[in-house]
Amino acid sequence: METLIQQIINGFSLGSVYALIAVGYSLVYSILLFSNFAHGGFLVIGGYICYYTLAAVGNNIWVASLLAFLGAGVSAVLVERGAYKPIRERTNVTLYLLIASMGMSIVIENIFVVTVGGRFRALPPVIPMTPVSVFGLATTSAFDILSLIMAMIFLIGLQVFLSTTKWGLAIRAASYDLKTAGLMGVNVNKLISIVFFVAGLLAAVGGIFLSVRYTLYPQLGLITIKAFVAAVIGGLGSLPGAVVGSLILGLAEMLTAGFISSQMRDIVVFGMLVLTLLWRPTGLFGKHISEKV
Amino acid sequence: MRKFLVLALLGVFAVMGLAAAAAAEDVIKIGHLAALTGDWAAYGQTEVNSAKLAVEEINAKGGVLGKKLQLIPYDFRTRPEDAVNAFRRMAENDKVVAVIGANGSGINIATAPLADKYKVPQIGTVSTNLLVTVDEKGVLHPYMFRICFTDPYQGQLIAAFSAHELKKLTAAVLWDVGSDYAQGLREFFMKYYDQYGGKVVADLGFRAGTDVDFRAQLTTIRDSKAEVLVLPNMGKEMALIMKQARELGMKDIIFVGGDGYGEFMWEIAGDAMEGSYWINHVAPEDPAMADFFKDYQKAYNDECKEFTNGVLAYDSIYWLADAIARAGKVDSTAIRDALENTVNVKLHHATMSIDPATHNPMNKTGVVLIAKDGRGQFFTKIQPE
Repeated sequence: METLIQQIINGFSLGSVYALIAVGYSLVYSILLFSNFAHGGFLVIGGYICYYTLAAVGNNIWVASLLAFLGAGVSAVLVERGAYKPIRERTNVTLYLLIASMGMSIVIENIFVVTVGGRFRALPPVIPMTPVSVFGLATTSAFDILSLIMAMIFLIGLQVFLSTTKWGLAIRAASYDLKTAGLMGVNVNKLISIVFFVAGLLAAVGGIFLSVRYTLYPQLGLITIKAFVAAVIGGLGSLPGAVVGSLILGLAEMLTAGFISSQMRDIVVFGMLVLTLLWRPTGLFGKHISEKV
Repeated sequence: MRKFLVLALLGVFAVMGLAAAAAAEDVIKIGHLAALTGDWAAYGQTEVNSAKLAVEEINAKGGVLGKKLQLIPYDFRTRPEDAVNAFRRMAENDKVVAVIGANGSGINIATAPLADKYKVPQIGTVSTNLLVTVDEKGVLHPYMFRICFTDPYQGQLIAAFSAHELKKLTAAVLWDVGSDYAQGLREFFMKYYDQYGGKVVADLGFRAGTDVDFRAQLTTIRDSKAEVLVLPNMGKEMALIMKQARELGMKDIIFVGGDGYGEFMWEIAGDAMEGSYWINHVAPEDPAMADFFKDYQKAYNDECKEFTNGVLAYDSIYWLADAIARAGKVDSTAIRDALENTVNVKLHHATMSIDPATHNPMNKTGVVLIAKDGRGQFFTKIQPE
């Protein structure tokens, strides 16, 4: 029983980090209807900005995080302006955007490989990692609780932004129909930039937590494959779906590794993806039926 | 007068001829198969530098049997086919009496039939696979030797250390399912730990390169009440495992690893590294090797980073010199017999005895490092009982 509770806690802590990344995927998908595979790159950018700021300003996590959020958000906007905007202005086929995003993810990864090198870097211990007992039933680290809380804060913050602000309304409108939103007077280019900025910011949050937990290296962005699977299971384009899908995936991984076999976890993860696509191609909360990639 | 000149010239020629003959007989040629270019170049360069150091030291003390040693290195470019060609040239053209190297099992498995054919003994430096000295049917390659211990033996050392030195009889293993090395170590650790009265209470795998989260496995290990966690792997995953274990509140479990220790792990694992043990062939922290590392630094103005290769190549020359002295003559077959009959020969990093049946070192000591105060420190040397 204690083991089960422990594995469930492990699963939620892993799932909450997936959720931060998966939400970014879904946000972009809901507007532009393509999966932005360069998303993992924004996460790595956020991680490295945080790492170097910490080294420069002497372990001030607040300054470092703020700069990482801004830096990753701005690079997401720049990637959109440089790589996606010229394509989406010329064609409606989202497949080209998808291919461009794969290219950008390789470009970003290799920029880090050639400039800072492939070495593993550990962030200084700015976030407490001390073990914490949960009602005497299970143990988790203070870091896990913090990452769960931060994920919740940012996800709720995103929900508030989308449901109460003018731009949030515009984004929701655009997620129904981008063209019509444009016809109603919404500045589409500005809206897309805002969406990318928010997605980049969330990726940086995930990037900081991932690099504290698993060290920082140029290929860290590959972990977003799992977050992408979570977004698809939850339903691409749906924010609650991304969160629920991530938690399900985190739990499934931990329970498989803990109770069946640690070598089976990826089989289970990708098996779940296949089953979801067979039974509910739009995912648990999905909305678009066509053009899913 | 003319007659005298001719005689004098003849005399000069005779003296020169004699001198040349004497020079040829005064050196003992030793081949060295080393990767001087390609992926393993760093290891090969260190090996040749270290072997040269040993040759110079022995020559400075008068050589062996009154003759100087001469090292003839050949580059095999990390390719077995180049190694085979190099071995032929060493045996046919250079007429070496013995060969040291290479530092990889695959290369030595390729040259083993040649060593047997030319009857030139070869000493592998860091060739840990069983098939270097015996073929698949278990038949001995009479001319193949190795100075390092084998993977199974390292697994046995980890078992002996956990059961006898730490006196902990419940252990868990967390190993990389994609690595032959980890798999070999795990298998033999489990076999010998059982013999020493220990019990493996959890045996779990992961995949290096893709897995970064080990909390699921660690939770199972925590619940199994293992006292020791054996990590027979290479790379950064072990640092993440140790860190995540401590975060899960596993504060008493003792980590024991093989060659995997690396300075970079401190950056990742931090304090979680403290008190972990690492069992290796050699260690720069070993007090017995301090002079070698100092001399290497002085001779090449470079740190001996590939220290396992350096030390094993260095001591391969000393072992060979000892065997030539015991053979009493510069003859490959006699040297082979002397190598086979190596009993308690004191080298720098260990005392060597060879098992005549397998040509593997017998009861060779391994070095145990302890991670303490932010660095790896020499703890002890161990032998299985």
